[in-house]
Amino acid sequence: MPAAMRSELRKLSTVRAPWLLLAAGPLVVLAGVTGLVQSGGNVHDPATQGTALAHVGLAAVFTLMFGMLAVAGEFRHGTITDTFLSFPGRRAVIVAKLAVYGLVGGLAGVVSSLVAVAATAAWWAAKGGSFHLSSAGTWRTLGGGVAVSIAFALIGVGLGALIRNLVAAVAAALAWIALVEGIAGQLLGSGLARWLPFYASESLDRATLTASAARLLPQWGGGLVLLGYAAAFAVAAVLTTLNRDVT
Amino acid sequence: MTQVEVRGLAKEFGRTTAVQDMSFTAPAGKVTAFLGPNGSGKTTTLRMVLGLVRPTAGQALIGGVSYQRLAQPRRQVGALLEATSFHPGRRARDHLRVLAAAGGLPSGRVDDVLGQVGLAEAAGRRVREFSLGMRQRLGIAAALLGDPAVLLLDEPANGLDPAGHAWLRGLLRDLAGAGRTVLVASHLLGEVAQTADHVVIVSAGQLRFAGPLREIGGSNQELESAFLSLTGEASYASRDA
Repeated sequence: MPAAMRSELRKLSTVRAPWLLLAAGPLVVLAGVTGLVQSGGNVHDPATQGTALAHVGLAAVFTLMFGMLAVAGEFRHGTITDTFLSFPGRRAVIVAKLAVYGLVGGLAGVVSSLVAVAATAAWWAAKGGSFHLSSAGTWRTLGGGVAVSIAFALIGVGLGALIRNLVAAVAAALAWIALVEGIAGQLLGSGLARWLPFYASESLDRATLTASAARLLPQWGGGLVLLGYAAAFAVAAVLTTLNRDVT
Repeated sequence: MTQVEVRGLAKEFGRTTAVQDMSFTAPAGKVTAFLGPNGSGKTTTLRMVLGLVRPTAGQALIGGVSYQRLAQPRRQVGALLEATSFHPGRRARDHLRVLAAAGGLPSGRVDDVLGQVGLAEAAGRRVREFSLGMRQRLGIAAALLGDPAVLLLDEPANGLDPAGHAWLRGLLRDLAGAGRTVLVASHLLGEVAQTADHVVIVSAGQLRFAGPLREIGGSNQELESAFLSLTGEASYASRDA
């Protein structure tokens, strides 16, 4: 493993904040599945199972924040100076952060998937529904949720490198999630809105949903769009990091 | 021999000129003191030598190559820049283990340098519990980690107690005595008079003097009056008196 990756893994394993952040993901998934059942979700309708499992996608909000810690967190604490002293070319730093944060973000997505399956199975058993892990839709939903977790971790790394101020980066991301994308989506109309990142993530992890499927891209299309966003942010992160003065 | 050579270095931040036409050499085997008033461009110069800030003109060479071209920067150059550059939640030993992984250094070096700076007992504590002096010692440990031939230290005495000052003096002398290049930015002229072989004096981003300390006169008094007249702060100081 390259030294830059080993160093990034060691950075992550020696502080607590990133893990607390990632732990919030499965908790939100658990709460989401529970809320669906408690608010009268029909456990006898096979489509409801897909809706329950699609809560995995919510955990991506936390992998996005987690990714932002990679670069913006180092600027916040001033440790970026030491990091660039170790790797004066800098490109290796961004590449290693993308690899490590993408990997850990993906593992967080897997944990969220396991929690979603366990919570859904438990509620279905409690309410007398029949839970089918083996259906193709189940695996497409869970796989999509993991892919969304990875993509948003990568977008977070790029966004944190572009903005560098951790508070500003988090505020910008939350504003986008809560307000801007919804408004932009309405202004653009559903034909264009489905190309926006959170619409794309919905198509990627809620593939079995028929209700909203009409306005979304197909699952593979959503995956490609998110991959495009992640790549664009990653390239922008590398380009803006290479020559910037660190004072 | 690995000397540090600054050639015609300049830096403009927007319309502000931080450093202009700066040239000097810090020779191997010597302690070179880098002196100047606050805001005179010392830190910007050190950051340019380390490849953190891109010069507007000129270049800085370490053993004949720029920092960016060093094959193993952690083994060749050790730097201490600010006392606050730690993650507060990370333990002191873990901070050094991160740097050791980045530099491809043997993990045994971590405990070596912790002992060398007197932090062996505190190695398992989180940095947020550290005093300024302890952070400074941890920063010095980080600079020593790769056993480099060149050390660039920005205000290393900051926050150290009197015993710490004496320890630092001995450390700098030992490092130079072993043939290393030691460049130390400092405000403490009394310390410099006791420790340095060479002095570089800057003011308003420009070089005022570079040469052996004895050319100025080795006493604290002589160094202070030379510093004040070279940096144009003599009138300011006499007004205070």
